[in-house]
Amino acid sequence: MSRILVVEDDAQTATEIVDALVDHGFSVDHAADGRQGLLMSMAGGFDAMVLDRMLPGTPDGLGVLATLRATGAQMPVLILSALSALDERVRGLRAGGDDYLTKPFEAVELTARLDALLRRRHVPGQQTSLRAGPLEIDLLTRGVRREGETISLLPREYDLLTFLMRHAGQVVTRTMLFEEVWGYRSEERTNVIDVHISKLRQKIDTDNRPSLIQTVRGSGYILYATD
Amino acid sequence: MRLTELRRTTGFRLALMFLLLFGTCSSLLFAFVYWQTVGYMVREQEGWLRRESTNFSSLSTDDRMLRLREHMRGDPGMRRPFGEFDATGHWLAGNLPSLPVEMQQTDRPVNFHMMYAGARVPFRGYSTHLPDGHWLVVAQNVHEPYEFEELMVRAMFGAGLLTLIFGLAGAVAVGTSSMRRIDAITLAIRRIVTGDLTERLPVQRGGGDLSRLTHEVNGMLDDLERLVHEVKGVCDSIAHDLRTPLTRLLGGLERALRRASTVDEFRLSIADAIDEVGSLLHTFNALLRISEIEAGARRAGFTQVSLSTVLTDVVEFYQPLAEEKRLSLQFVDDAASVAVAGDASLLFDAVSNLVDNAIKFTPPGGTIQVRLDAAHRQLSVVDSGPGIPPGERKAVLNRFHRSEPSRSTPGNGLGLSLVAVIARLHDMTIEISDATPGCRISLSWSGTEG
Repeated sequence: MSRILVVEDDAQTATEIVDALVDHGFSVDHAADGRQGLLMSMAGGFDAMVLDRMLPGTPDGLGVLATLRATGAQMPVLILSALSALDERVRGLRAGGDDYLTKPFEAVELTARLDALLRRRHVPGQQTSLRAGPLEIDLLTRGVRREGETISLLPREYDLLTFLMRHAGQVVTRTMLFEEVWGYRSEERTNVIDVHISKLRQKIDTDNRPSLIQTVRGSGYILYATD
Repeated sequence: MRLTELRRTTGFRLALMFLLLFGTCSSLLFAFVYWQTVGYMVREQEGWLRRESTNFSSLSTDDRMLRLREHMRGDPGMRRPFGEFDATGHWLAGNLPSLPVEMQQTDRPVNFHMMYAGARVPFRGYSTHLPDGHWLVVAQNVHEPYEFEELMVRAMFGAGLLTLIFGLAGAVAVGTSSMRRIDAITLAIRRIVTGDLTERLPVQRGGGDLSRLTHEVNGMLDDLERLVHEVKGVCDSIAHDLRTPLTRLLGGLERALRRASTVDEFRLSIADAIDEVGSLLHTFNALLRISEIEAGARRAGFTQVSLSTVLTDVVEFYQPLAEEKRLSLQFVDDAASVAVAGDASLLFDAVSNLVDNAIKFTPPGGTIQVRLDAAHRQLSVVDSGPGIPPGERKAVLNRFHRSEPSRSTPGNGLGLSLVAVIARLHDMTIEISDATPGCRISLSWSGTEG
């Protein structure tokens, strides 16, 4: 079970976050200010941290992050920030954050992103192939196969499938896909992604075989790794 | 007449100030002229008196008597009375009947009065103590110069009084008229404050600074009225557009409560409700995004963005959707690379909104072109759809505006207003025109960024 540290000063928001993470199966600790958060994170034992950008007093969110990174801690950090601080996203990521989420957000978006961060951490850097159930991708030749059968994909479809396979078994939201696969950040027009997914499904689920990519109602998609 | 209020008006105060200034200046000028004139006259007199006195003093006693008698004959009107008196003050010769008290033991011109022809007449004289012990007095009637001086002073006071009266009257007139105008303006403002936004401040013909001010304020009021109407329109639209999904939500939940019996049925109703709430939330997020972009905070995160990359990505992103509707979606550019200072995600949003609309409204079999014209600093989305009637072209950029035929299609009516605010953030101008047939929406930017 992954241990997550939540640093959030607002009690209500903190409760919501902690509940969502516990529901998702994480073990969660909570710190109410930057000082406490920093002490707890330095003590170690956490797999990831959810950090509020705006914390009262010193250090604030970025201060905590900078100090943490200065000690050489590699734990993935997801920064939360109010809507008005959208332009500070770059600053947050530059200070050593791994992902950035603006308030208000849906619980599924937070847990999906945390899953992705934790997964990224466990994946060895020099992978040459991906495998999920019957699907196989050769990352060097960009060849895609299902049960040995070659499937030809457009570049974007290949990126889409690679991302889903890297996070096989996890919910991936449309916003995450749009951000990672297309490289733009927006909550608009994500319904167009459904069309891309259905195109991809048509290509990989040939001969009426069961669909590997499932739609998670209200959240996004999941690629099941089981046969 | 409210005197205290009149006293406070700028017009009245200014008029009074000028009156005071004018009065002071004229008084100074008059005083200068007066002193100069009177001084000149006195100097001339004294010069003459001294000369005559010297002339007489240089003569022998007998000659003096002779000359004095001659003088007496030539001056019967006592205009220039001369006289010689012995040491005790007894008259010896001349037409001055007696030695005035003031004239004894002095060597400088002195003023004195004497009775002549039943009147007290002013004289100015000069007495000399001659070597033989006699007093010689040379004098001049100064009634006329005195009168002249008096006339001058009287004229000054008269003129001053007239100036004061006319000036005060003018000040009152100016003050009253400005007070009337201010009163009218205040009244108009009061009506505006109490809610009548159609009221305008009265503007007088012929300009003037107050007119210029009221003109500006009226311009401001025009803007304000327009904005209030817009806000009201937006509020109405929000209320209207949100009522529909909320009613659906309520209806669905009530139906579930009445009819659903199995867990699966409840699950389905809840899922429907979640969808409705999700779309409501989406609308609110879109609204918030628009106002956030409008606030301009994201300008801080601007980088150089390659427009051809963004446009290619949009076209690629929408290609499957276009294919589904059997539309041809193409990217056409003039092969020059263009970079503008901007936010790539927002520009993607803007163009994808335009493409999204084009796909929504173009009938199957049509074409959509995303054009990048680097030479004319313009990008445009051109479709072969029904187009937007000229009368509606400005309104479609407003929040929640949806043209009648589009009411049936899904959407929140915020797309084009999002495009408009993103364009404004990037200093781009948006233009909607006919592509005959179809619609053409262009974004143009100025030359400095390219």
